[in-house]
Amino acid sequence: MASNDGQYEVLWPRSPRQVQLKPLARRLDTLEGKTIAQLWDFVFRGDEVYAALEEGLKERYPNIRWVSYKEFGNTHGGEEREVVAALPRRFKELKVDAAISGMGA
Amino acid sequence: MLRASVAAESAGIPTATLVCEGFLGLAASTSVGLGMPNIPVAAVPGHTGVQSKEELRRNILGVTMDDVVRNLTGEVGHAESETEPGARDVIFKGGFDEVNQYFYENELADGLPIVPPTREKVEQFLRCTKRSPDEVLGILLPDSRAATVWSIAVNGVMSGCRPEYMSVLIALVEAMADPYYGVEHSGNTPGGETLIVLNGPIIKTLRFNYTQGVMRDGFMANTSIGRFWRLYLRNVAGFLPQKNDKATFGNTWRVVVAENEDVVKEIGWKPLSVDMGYEAGDNTVTVSRFTGGNHISSISGSTPDEMLPYLADAVVRQYSWQIMFTVGQGMGTLRPLILLGPIIARTIASWGWSKEELKQYLFDHARIPAREYERILRDWTAKPIWNLEEEYRLGRIPRAFFESDDPDRMVPLVWEPDDYMIVVTGDPARNSAYVFAHNGVLGYPVTKKIDAAAAAPRRATKKG
Repeated sequence: MASNDGQYEVLWPRSPRQVQLKPLARRLDTLEGKTIAQLWDFVFRGDEVYAALEEGLKERYPNIRWVSYKEFGNTHGGEEREVVAALPRRFKELKVDAAISGMGA
Repeated sequence: MLRASVAAESAGIPTATLVCEGFLGLAASTSVGLGMPNIPVAAVPGHTGVQSKEELRRNILGVTMDDVVRNLTGEVGHAESETEPGARDVIFKGGFDEVNQYFYENELADGLPIVPPTREKVEQFLRCTKRSPDEVLGILLPDSRAATVWSIAVNGVMSGCRPEYMSVLIALVEAMADPYYGVEHSGNTPGGETLIVLNGPIIKTLRFNYTQGVMRDGFMANTSIGRFWRLYLRNVAGFLPQKNDKATFGNTWRVVVAENEDVVKEIGWKPLSVDMGYEAGDNTVTVSRFTGGNHISSISGSTPDEMLPYLADAVVRQYSWQIMFTVGQGMGTLRPLILLGPIIARTIASWGWSKEELKQYLFDHARIPAREYERILRDWTAKPIWNLEEEYRLGRIPRAFFESDDPDRMVPLVWEPDDYMIVVTGDPARNSAYVFAHNGVLGYPVTKKIDAAAAAPRRATKKG
């Protein structure tokens, strides 16, 4: 609907994103014999979720190995920046092949 | 979770991110700003918070586990970048109603009419600062957009601000970009809203309300700058409701609260800005997020001993799950804020009490039994690992939380007296207070100086 109150040329209120598309890591061919890190923000029953995943995946992949969330610290607390920044180093030290991160809730 | 997953993927480690069903949209929005829009997630049916142990186990084994395997071993989707306008592009031409319809339909406005951000209007704002329009004050998550002086001016125009507010707006965005504030958490489910507290002579220069009805809309500076904060969170940080803003209920933005520095000076106290590390007389903004609060009516008595038990009790009553920011998720980051009516502050000070003594009183008396801490965090909100004795023995929390093993011992709400923030404001003629429930590390108090020296002298608009 046209209006008679003048014409406005209006500017974009956002600003350009400063992040480029980043490639994902190469996926694994199998979880058998692989070491999986558990990352947790210590809420929403992640401890029970990981216990169930350990149980279920062990049946499919008998030689799967786990690194507990206790090794990494809280990924969403007051120490988030430090904990997340340390992940690449910790993964190397612990010979981690893949990671599961929770809980989005 | 996604930030940790992105760090892992960047390090060459494939990930599966566990996301409850109702949060899959949030994950999709957030992943774009992190540069990995195709990062795979594993769905958790329903919400873990309301499922029996058996139901949760069944859901994980029946649904989530297959997603995890696919995430870690299967094909991943192709990522494409979005095309967006340039920073200074004209994005629409039309009348007032048409502009507003366009902004609303494109999620660039908050549901109220905006002032059309024309180049002429934006340049009026830019003339009120010496800062370069291209200066970047920080990169704001979740959208990872640059917080530029230019974008501050555009959103300032839209919010109904006046050009001379520009130095305040810049200081606010500097606070928003400060890592200690934690803007990336602004879309969390408790939906806390930021409160801006203003200090300094600029309160009077720009005619902020600092007396009766201080939190009510109706005062241009207080209201339009409060609206600016939320619009900037939406347009530049990227917090859109039902996308990156996952507030369960949410709040409307709050108007700016200015302190009554006349009364503060009269009673010999210091303004909040000094408590936050600045000099008396500095113009400052302090931002922090609060999930809610309550008016505490009719604090009666003629001495601190008569008045303060009620206030301490009122502070305790505003806090429930938020104590996870004292012991747990936030560890010592809970910062309760109390707005104190001037006649209450005057009465307390007349007995020789400093603000520090008031904070000490609250630290000593606003307490709850230890068993309640553990009941709220461990039993009621299913955060199972928090135990005050264990945390104390690990050296993670102060002695005040474990002075004995009596489960009925009274423990403080905060780590130290200075965690309390006191602001004198509101109706000078009424004996009431307002207590805010803080959001801890997810909106930690940050103060920035308003750079009045960077405010350029006003110049007449040149035409032609």
